[in-house]
Amino acid sequence: MEAIAVEHVTKCFDSVVAVSDLSLHIEQGAVFGLLGPNGAGKTTSLRMIMHILVPDEGAIQVLGQPASDRTQDLIGYLPEERGLYARMKVREVLVFLAALKGLSEAEASVRVHEWLERLGLAAWSEKKINDLSKGMQQKAQFIAAVIHRPPLLILDEPFAGLDPVNATLIKDIMLELREQGSTIILSTHRMEQVEMMCDAICLINHGRSVLAGDLRAIKKSYGKNTVRIEYTGDDNFLDLPDLVEKLNHFGAVVEAKLRPGADPQEILKAAVARGVRLTRFELVEPPLHDIFIEKVSEAHA
Amino acid sequence: MRKIWLVVKREYLTRVRTKGFVLSTVGVPLFCVGIFAISLALATRKADHQLKISILDNLGGFAPQILLGLNEKLPDGRPRFQLVKAWDRPASESMAREELTKQVRNGQLDGFLEVPKGILNGDEATLHTGNTNDFQTARTLGRAVSNAVIGRRLSDRGVHIDNLNEVMHGVELTLVKVTKTGESEETGQSILVQVSIVMILYITLVVYGMITMRSVLEEKTSRIVEILASSIKPTYLLTGKIVGVAGVAMTQYLIWTGTATFVSAYGAAVGSAFRPGATAPSFHLPAAYLVYSLLYFLVGYFLYASLYAALGSMVSSEEDLQQVQMPVTLILVACMVLFPIIQRAPNSPLAVALTMIPFTSPILMVCRITVQTPPFWQIALSLAICVATTVGVIQVSAKIYRVGILMYGKRPSLVELLRWLRYT
Repeated sequence: MEAIAVEHVTKCFDSVVAVSDLSLHIEQGAVFGLLGPNGAGKTTSLRMIMHILVPDEGAIQVLGQPASDRTQDLIGYLPEERGLYARMKVREVLVFLAALKGLSEAEASVRVHEWLERLGLAAWSEKKINDLSKGMQQKAQFIAAVIHRPPLLILDEPFAGLDPVNATLIKDIMLELREQGSTIILSTHRMEQVEMMCDAICLINHGRSVLAGDLRAIKKSYGKNTVRIEYTGDDNFLDLPDLVEKLNHFGAVVEAKLRPGADPQEILKAAVARGVRLTRFELVEPPLHDIFIEKVSEAHA
Repeated sequence: MRKIWLVVKREYLTRVRTKGFVLSTVGVPLFCVGIFAISLALATRKADHQLKISILDNLGGFAPQILLGLNEKLPDGRPRFQLVKAWDRPASESMAREELTKQVRNGQLDGFLEVPKGILNGDEATLHTGNTNDFQTARTLGRAVSNAVIGRRLSDRGVHIDNLNEVMHGVELTLVKVTKTGESEETGQSILVQVSIVMILYITLVVYGMITMRSVLEEKTSRIVEILASSIKPTYLLTGKIVGVAGVAMTQYLIWTGTATFVSAYGAAVGSAFRPGATAPSFHLPAAYLVYSLLYFLVGYFLYASLYAALGSMVSSEEDLQQVQMPVTLILVACMVLFPIIQRAPNSPLAVALTMIPFTSPILMVCRITVQTPPFWQIALSLAICVATTVGVIQVSAKIYRVGILMYGKRPSLVELLRWLRYT
């Protein structure tokens, strides 16, 4: 059984086509990256999976059932735009939201306590949401998404605004939930997070899927056509238009995309000939970042 | 159903526990009674300062007669009117008038009465004064001049009366209200009841409608609505919200009617304890008024709250909210403006029509019931129309709400709104 099966779904708002003939298949237990430029139709797709919106055409199955009010309780959601009842107490808001997801209020109280404890918010449980810092509110909101142990978790930019310590805390919980069998849909613009966490992805542009499938397989299909180099010295040794199609400078690191058939050994030779000291020379698959840009600009062309 | 109940509970508890609720529960009745008491006190207030007046008598001999009618005393025993000068038949009318006008202007006089030569033949007397808004004083002066003129006419016809005031003393009307169940003396109390009930209905409809509207907007601006929409049907959310706020309103009403009942019982008891045998000045509030008020409040609340909720879901900011809520609030304000029409002629065709129109009937029908209870079929019909309209409005509002809560940015035009209604 697939966690999510979206079949040929289309959704229009007046004359604007937000999602067009989109199909998505997400394996149970996977971490799935939903990618796409701003306004591509990601939020509309997620809202249809959560049955906030109903597709004009096509069908959506959540854990084997058609998307409906009942499947809503199977999903935990962290929206990109965060917000809770500002003037309610942290504990009360979370118990309310957990109960809305089908937990009894007694059970919800116990779990809220546990989660607040775990995320270091126990001392704030009787404080109003307004009194919390932004990071704390974000953690509280994350609790609201996971408290009912949903088999399907939808997280939109879960790490935005979190310091490294809290980001790690959230990442660990995500992996733990995955261990327990939850499926996670991750929507983010941070490609390095997708590369580190996701098993499969779907890239949406203008409401259509332009690239979908297993992330390793996608990257493999591009082949190891990129050299990642760290060095000290003059950088004009990379001025090799016959070999290098595109250069990406990141400051400390340079990524050079090779022309088809070019031998990376030639670059190494050039570097040695110019007396550049290499600290890293690695032949890699293209970063998702480049694939994203390529796919999206392809569509624009 | 369980989810609706959760929304109701949250909405109710977070509101009942606020300071605003406690303040308004105590404040609104005090405000209503206060306004009435103040206007009553102002209207019947005894004057507390002397007025300096002069009399310019062009015909002659009127001043003493007029003064007889100005024997009003201040609370400290001094006469209310102090005659500075009685100018009998001046050499030049216009010069005398000019002189006295100058005195009024520089504050030596509060005013002067001018009796024209032709006063016995119907010419009008004039009061020259800096303040033409003090109708009570003007009426007292007018009556004094009028009595003096009548006295002169009588004596010209051979009837001599020493103290005309005793003869001219009028008769007051006592109003007895005839109702289906009996008669009761009108002491101004029933107006107090009418005004209070209508004021409370108006204030609660506006306030609780706006609370519902703000509550919708708050969920939208705080963005929590996205999480809510992923957990519960928007229609359920809207229902829970409206019912929850209605619960808050009902709680407030129960406290108010409870207090009113207690005060009326307790007030009568205290009265009879102090003056045994005397008929206690009971504060009589017929139970039917309360029942009808509650009934109409509930129907009216659901009508207006669902309208206000739809408005709240349409906009994304407090500024836009101010604009879109105006038309709805104006209808409620119109009810307050139309209220005197019902008071004066509760069975006129206009009054009947206004109490049948669903948007005005919640306030105006209750007003009509308290003034003169209409036949039961009219009440039943007006309720039925109102309930039917409410059901329709709730359905349209729910459709707007469902789309509106997820829309941000510019507020929709009327055309866009109509399109929203067609979304599934």
